[in-house]
Amino acid sequence: MIRVLFFATIRNLTREKQATVPSAATVRELIEALSERYGKAFRDEAFEGNEVSGRLIVMVNGRSIAHTGGGSTPLSDGDTVAIFPLVGGG
Amino acid sequence: MYGWTGNVLRVNLTDGTFRKEPLRVKDAEAFIGARGLASKYWIDDVKDLSVDPLSPRNNLLFATGPLTGTLATSGGRYEVVCKAPLTGALAASNSGGYFGPELKYAGYDLIIFEGKAPKPVYLYIYNDSVEIRDASALWGKTTHETTDALLAETDPDAKVACIGPAGEKGVLFAAVINDKHRAAGRSGVGAVMGSKNLKAVAVRGTKGLKVADPAAFLKVVGEARKKLAANPVTSAGLPAYGTNVLVNILNQAGGLPTRNFQTGHFEEADAISGETLASTLLVTKKGCAGCTSACGRVSKTTGQFAGSGEGPEYETAWSFGADCGISDLSAVTKANFLCNELGIDTITMGSTIACAMELFEKGILTKEETGMDLSFGNAAAMVEMVKKTGLREGFGDKLALGSWRLASSYGHAELSMTAKKQEMPAYDPRALQGMGLEYATSNRGGCHVRGYLTSPEILGLPQKLDPDSIEEKPAWLKAFQDLTASFDSSGLCLFTTFAIGAEELAAQMAAATGVPYTAEQVMKAGERIWNLERLFNLAVGFTSADDTIPSRLMNEPIPTGPAKGKISRLPEMLPRYYEVRGWDESGVPTDAKLAELGLARL
Repeated sequence: MIRVLFFATIRNLTREKQATVPSAATVRELIEALSERYGKAFRDEAFEGNEVSGRLIVMVNGRSIAHTGGGSTPLSDGDTVAIFPLVGGG
Repeated sequence: MYGWTGNVLRVNLTDGTFRKEPLRVKDAEAFIGARGLASKYWIDDVKDLSVDPLSPRNNLLFATGPLTGTLATSGGRYEVVCKAPLTGALAASNSGGYFGPELKYAGYDLIIFEGKAPKPVYLYIYNDSVEIRDASALWGKTTHETTDALLAETDPDAKVACIGPAGEKGVLFAAVINDKHRAAGRSGVGAVMGSKNLKAVAVRGTKGLKVADPAAFLKVVGEARKKLAANPVTSAGLPAYGTNVLVNILNQAGGLPTRNFQTGHFEEADAISGETLASTLLVTKKGCAGCTSACGRVSKTTGQFAGSGEGPEYETAWSFGADCGISDLSAVTKANFLCNELGIDTITMGSTIACAMELFEKGILTKEETGMDLSFGNAAAMVEMVKKTGLREGFGDKLALGSWRLASSYGHAELSMTAKKQEMPAYDPRALQGMGLEYATSNRGGCHVRGYLTSPEILGLPQKLDPDSIEEKPAWLKAFQDLTASFDSSGLCLFTTFAIGAEELAAQMAAATGVPYTAEQVMKAGERIWNLERLFNLAVGFTSADDTIPSRLMNEPIPTGPAKGKISRLPEMLPRYYEVRGWDESGVPTDAKLAELGLARL
């Protein structure tokens, strides 16, 4: 089981704060499964072609996938994935 | 002049006189305005850098930049500059709202206050008309009461910057509040204003501004505006959720300091997040002058913590929330309202209460001393301590000195989460290596807006840097520090840097002022300002030993959350930082660097 958390404007697309996905080998597979669940608007935001969109910040157990292999980042049972849009502040 | 008004107003509060002076053009070109130019004026005017910050010899400047009040997007900023009572460094506290532009429209780049008034006064400016007026009836009033009274007494369209009771009573982190809700917050500029018996500045300006090449200016402003409109941070995230959108992402990264930086993960973070604020207490959003993002939050609370006002920003939601172990967003927001009304910096206030809570938890402070149960998570006690601090009542009298002096008085300075005696904001240096270097080297002490490496480390802007890596951070930090110094000095909001950089800033400054600034010159001006601040610090006794952060962050691994096990590797980064700065191994700028920047040692 993989736990997925949604934040900020991503919640407008999912209409929920969190979800679980039974299994996914990589982040790309997970995002694909979520796109099936939440539909075209989510898919359009989450993918650029076949790659996970640079407009998202995706963390696996607190580490951004930008530093762990992008969409190819492997997932294991029990992982927590957090998905954010690009945000800023300070 | 163009961009700049070319006028400085010098007010001697001791004898109640004032005069207008022409702006020093060469200094304006080299130090831009606001933070940079006012720091240069302070140093040249005061000369004796060892001056006691709360003495009449400490000058206090209200300073705008060449883009303040122009049509440049988010050009609504001004700066309050003086020697800081909290740190002993130069304070340069930046604020938005509408006061800065109004000061420009009245015809002034800088107001310099010297001396101390024999009784409470306020300054009223209506274009060329300047009056020092009696403020005895306003002494003791909140910032909101003061603002309302002055708008009734002067002009309903005037803009007011003032202090509340905290500034009058010398709270070492008192703020100057303008437009009721915007704070020149950090380092205690409000206490300096109070020490001068200066309650407020009310200004009405109707003169407008001149730019050197109006057609070129509109063109480059339009180009910058398109970039701000296309950027998801400045066009979507900040308008929808305000800066408090950061609570969840920092928490997920394990870098949300919790319970006085004892860990980096707050279990109840979502309860104090921007998302929760937007769906509960938010009334509407609000922008500063000329802004298209409108990250300000107008909010309302009910029940035990009933109130209305603006906030909380991210740093405030963190300081009164996660850092105090509190998940009641109404309490956090109420504490923010009180800080605005009493005139208090929210970051130092929350962090000082968090420090007291850890002292209490460890049995170093007792209920007999505090008068209340100061356990982490006690929301009612936290709100009460804000009030008591602003009025310096009871235990609030000790909190009013900030966490470093508080913890030191009990022999536990290590529990003060400060750099150079100023409280660090809402990013744990163990989870974000670059922010540890930023806190340690910030010229004004613990601060996030002197080189915001959170942007590349967590937000991925302008590119994604690994928060755990250290190799590239010194060079990135230098670039961010220099760029930030230029933006602050120009009068543009720092948040525009999520979408635009030195090229766009230079183009707007060149068209506005007629001085042919290039991106390279803008970066060089920022570096000059940074080194001037550094020279000040060295002259008043700071050394490389002060370029540090609390030992906890370098020695105690984060115990819980996604960044569990990590520590700050500051000692490995600092020598490389000095090197990329062109400083010697003691952190002193070399002769060659000073010659390159046109600076002399102080």
